[in-house]
Amino acid sequence: MLRLISIASLAAALLLAPAAPAAEAPTREDYVERLEAICKPDNEATQRVMKGARADIKAERLAAAAAKFAKATEIFTGTVRAMKAVPRPSADRPKLSRWFGYLGDQEGYLRGVTDNLRANRAVKAQRLIARFIHSGNLANSVILPFGFDSCEFKFSRYG
Amino acid sequence: MSPVVVRDVRWRGFLAAVLLLAVLAVGLTGFAYGERSQRGNLIVSLDGELSPLKLPRDRAAPVSVRLDGGLQTADRTTLPRVTRVELGLPSEATLSTRGLPICRQQRLRNATAAEALSACRPALVGRGWIETQVVLPNQPPFAVRTHLLAFNGRVGGRRAVVMHASAVDPPTVAVIPFVIRRGEGRFGTALVANLSPALGPWPRFARFEVTLARRYSYRGKSRSYVSASCPIPRRFTAGFFSFAKATFKLANGKEISTGIARSCRAR
Repeated sequence: MLRLISIASLAAALLLAPAAPAAEAPTREDYVERLEAICKPDNEATQRVMKGARADIKAERLAAAAAKFAKATEIFTGTVRAMKAVPRPSADRPKLSRWFGYLGDQEGYLRGVTDNLRANRAVKAQRLIARFIHSGNLANSVILPFGFDSCEFKFSRYG
Repeated sequence: MSPVVVRDVRWRGFLAAVLLLAVLAVGLTGFAYGERSQRGNLIVSLDGELSPLKLPRDRAAPVSVRLDGGLQTADRTTLPRVTRVELGLPSEATLSTRGLPICRQQRLRNATAAEALSACRPALVGRGWIETQVVLPNQPPFAVRTHLLAFNGRVGGRRAVVMHASAVDPPTVAVIPFVIRRGEGRFGTALVANLSPALGPWPRFARFEVTLARRYSYRGKSRSYVSASCPIPRRFTAGFFSFAKATFKLANGKEISTGIARSCRAR
């Protein structure tokens, strides 16, 4: 019985051990630095995959544009997932959860744009682009005092 | 029973009106500063619009461009000195100065707004205002709002928008030439002003609003200072584009900028 308890407590200790440093909240500066390191390469990747998307839409090559939006959505989803995993400064948690809420909205709109472009529904895709931009602006207004650069939403990255 | 229903309908109408006003108020305050970006303690903001929004898909039509932006510090401390302002305008818009009279900067120096207009009215291409924070030694900073007149001009052989900023109280006049250059990336045109050290260390650029618009005729043809199109395919009804970008270079060598995206509708 004693052995069982000690195994259980060892297992618990092992499980809790990694959680201890993660629970230590970083400062806002450290948090911004860690997130910027995630966003920067992903932004560059987004710009690369979205190259020519504007011209594709202009020439009504909606399938080609949809493929680019699909890749951008994949990058966006991955970036948000990686950002979510970073421990947040305790004082900023409510603000950051609002920000992640808007980023979640943007992810959904981006996915919707891809699906509608694939399905040849131009006007529906256009409406979702408007919502995507609006949510991005709302997201930016929440994290204004953080002074993000790469993690800020910039429409110009999307083609 | 019916008067109750009538009252109920009125009440509902009143509630709807209040709700509509509340939504409008939230909308207006929400966009009062347009898009904002912060670096350190400094916040840059930019807002703007094209008017009309409905434009032809395949040819440029006369429009007006309104830009409104500026700088503020997060903790309300004194603003840094700005040495250069760059305003990027979209590739979808073009500035045409063909046949438009030119206003020489000398005619605007030390001129009141009325005198500037009387000297250069045919070259007028826009209006607005500039707000500066004046920082004098041993005094709390105070704001000065100047009336802005924008004239078509030339600086060093290049096309320019010459801004004449003036106020009556305190008596203030400044002439700020914005050279028209080819923009970078999505911004086809850039208006660039190097703020002369002659302006002194006291005025700190805070906010501005300018609307550029001018219809004129040249060789019997109607022309517009600013024209734009909404080049989108037939299947779309609206398009989105990078509308403007404001970049401020500070006296410490750092830069702060923000860009805005806007939509146009096809007609």
